[in-house]
Amino acid sequence: MNRRNFLKDIAWGSLLLNVNPGLWAQGKSLPDLAIIQGESPGLIAKEAVAALGGMKKFISRGDKVVVKPNIGWDRKPEQAACTNPDTVKAVIEMCFDAGAKEVKVLDNPCNPAQRTYMRSGIAKAAKDAGADVPFPNNHKLKKMDIKGEWLTSWEVYSDFIEADKIINVPIAKNHSLCKLTMGMKNWLGAIGGNRNQLHQKIDLAMIDLSNFFKPCLTIMDSYRLLVRNGPQGGRLSDVELHKTVAAGTDYVAVDTVGASFFNMKPEELPFLRLAKEKGHGETNLEKLNIEKRTI
Amino acid sequence: MKKERSKKYRLIQVLRILVQVVFFVLFVHLLLNAHFTGEDYIKKVEVFFHFDPLLALATFIASRVMFASFVLALITVAVTTILGRVACGWVCPMGSIQQFFSFLFKKSKLHKPKRPSGNHTAWKYFILIFILVATLLSLDLVGLLDPFSFLTRSFALAVLPVFATTGSVLTGILYKLNLTSLGDSLYQFLQNLDVNTVFLQGFFLGALFIGIILLNLVRERFWCRYLCPLGALLGLLSRWNVFKLKINADKCIDCRLCTIHCETQATPFPIGDWKSSECIYCFTCGSICPTGAITFPLRFNPAKAPQVNLSRRKLLFTSFLGILAVPFFRLSAAGKRASSKLIRPPGALPEEQFLRKCVKCGECMKVCPTNALQPVMGEAGPEGIWTPMVVPKIGYCEYYCSLCTQVCPTGAIKELTIEEKVEVKIGTSWINKNRCIPWKFGDPCIVCEEHCPVSPKAIKMIKTRVELPDGTIKTPLAPVIDTGTCIGCGICENKCPVVDKPAIYVTSIGESRSDRNQFLLDVIDETGIY
Repeated sequence: MNRRNFLKDIAWGSLLLNVNPGLWAQGKSLPDLAIIQGESPGLIAKEAVAALGGMKKFISRGDKVVVKPNIGWDRKPEQAACTNPDTVKAVIEMCFDAGAKEVKVLDNPCNPAQRTYMRSGIAKAAKDAGADVPFPNNHKLKKMDIKGEWLTSWEVYSDFIEADKIINVPIAKNHSLCKLTMGMKNWLGAIGGNRNQLHQKIDLAMIDLSNFFKPCLTIMDSYRLLVRNGPQGGRLSDVELHKTVAAGTDYVAVDTVGASFFNMKPEELPFLRLAKEKGHGETNLEKLNIEKRTI
Repeated sequence: MKKERSKKYRLIQVLRILVQVVFFVLFVHLLLNAHFTGEDYIKKVEVFFHFDPLLALATFIASRVMFASFVLALITVAVTTILGRVACGWVCPMGSIQQFFSFLFKKSKLHKPKRPSGNHTAWKYFILIFILVATLLSLDLVGLLDPFSFLTRSFALAVLPVFATTGSVLTGILYKLNLTSLGDSLYQFLQNLDVNTVFLQGFFLGALFIGIILLNLVRERFWCRYLCPLGALLGLLSRWNVFKLKINADKCIDCRLCTIHCETQATPFPIGDWKSSECIYCFTCGSICPTGAITFPLRFNPAKAPQVNLSRRKLLFTSFLGILAVPFFRLSAAGKRASSKLIRPPGALPEEQFLRKCVKCGECMKVCPTNALQPVMGEAGPEGIWTPMVVPKIGYCEYYCSLCTQVCPTGAIKELTIEEKVEVKIGTSWINKNRCIPWKFGDPCIVCEEHCPVSPKAIKMIKTRVELPDGTIKTPLAPVIDTGTCIGCGICENKCPVVDKPAIYVTSIGESRSDRNQFLLDVIDETGIY
């Protein structure tokens, strides 16, 4: 599903919604978003993708896929600063099942990659699932035309550029500047350069980068939510069990769902408001077909 | 006279070279393994040091505390007493390097061995006496010339970084040539080696190492012959060794080859001049002798072998110099007030004890996962040169890491578990509001707060009011520091986007190890914050 089709669907959806909510309920078989709750982080991720029509819908046979989790910090999975390793593993398995030729998992972290890859459990989980887990390689940074409103060009790891498909697998957590960091903020881990200077206009940077990378799917781990002291936390008392995953092709909508987990409205988050204004996605969840289940 | 070289000693020589290679490879292997391998706790990578009786003795005298691991040094003492300085000739990686380059210089005709002259072998004994006298008065200079400290420091801070950087440049070239998979493998290999490449004084320390190697152009194994204080200590121990050189006078043709080529000036010839304290049992003489006249038979009788001439007057003079060195090395303001820049690694003992134990080997700097630990130049006074300090602009102290405390060979950095380490405060951070982006420009920036690893964060964001030069008022969130919870790790300074001179910086005040480098002591105790 590309963006054009997606927007068309939204248009149809809203039209139908205006005409008759009852019709909308029967009209479409596949949801725009899946929110699945359950005990196993891996299983709910698989269930969510299945609800969206299965990974084959997003990944074609022979694709080179890059999976981008958040591996930003030297923290354990229980501390909820990095994406749940089981979620990452499930995504990789689905990619291979859908016929992907090669799956790469990487992130440019804040602490040394040797540490974050290890302590987050993601390196092991991803390797177990058969993915390649390279450290971010500065030799592979390429200055790219971001074509954003604020970011015109920036250094990007070429692994992302050379991939056929990109899947974003962020974790939803508290962040002192953006309030929340989810899918759109995750792209700061796909670039090099003086990233810390982007914080001065972080919302614009997030929007420009998300629009540049355009993931074919966003699967947001919300199994554990870091509700305070983000984005790296530390204390287990800052973590709440939520046992949920949200997935969809509209990354703005997925982040909006994530915000709702923290009881925040999209209007409170400038990056969501701006992304909606620019037409990158939908923030009005009532306009979307959402499948919400517990397994 | 039948001219035939001894096959036996030729064979022993080959065996000796093999053993040297094995120990050298082991040394490099252990040093390379001193990095974060994915485990929080690291195996004994500093074990070489514990076989060093000089370090054991000097740190014991200087600190008046025996570090248990040094019990291994007794093995070296026992072996040396029985067999002589075999540790120098067969084991010591520093000696192997000197010998290797001596060999190269000789083969390439850059150096032509001459008959030794003079009593210069005595230097190393005077160096040893000087060091030991100074340690008695608690000035610990042993690390400057102890061979393991010297070699580890040179390798960790200069040799390995040069190789790693070369590898990195090579990787870049491979990528440029579109040999991507080859480049990927080399890149991943270098990442796995995880060698720190940025060192203050790296160039200087490297030049010093090259200098020591070039001295082999003057004399073979110059370092071992004239400079090495450990060699001197082992020399003092090797008067009773059971294997003693014997020249068969009937076979000897007075060619003097043995004495000319003796690597450590033990003077096998003339007969009766052989000095057991200088012999490192390399068996060069035995294998070079054209008539096979030299043997090393077992002899228990403590035949009084000639010794290196250490005149009493010179010994007294050296001891006197050792005493004078103490006030001389303390001609600095370092002891007066704590240096703001001297942020010691977590677990470092209080400064006075730290200086008495640190042997400046650089093992901590090698293992540091963020390259934060750097050799000190002047901050700790002349006696503290090359001791470690955190330089946050280069790297920061990683929160869940206590590797430097685990590899310290002398306990100058006390071994800590991760749980103990996160409680240690190594300094305190400060905000320079004149340079901070929110405080100065009113623009948002939370990079320091975001990276602060303690929980709850030691950096808080507060609403503030900023007046810009044109009169506009902005009300950004700006960082302030909760000094009580700040541990001084320096990640804030390291990541601050104000590149040249970070707007947030760490100084040593408040460090857990010090009683004096504190402020408002009673207030901290009561409230935990200032």
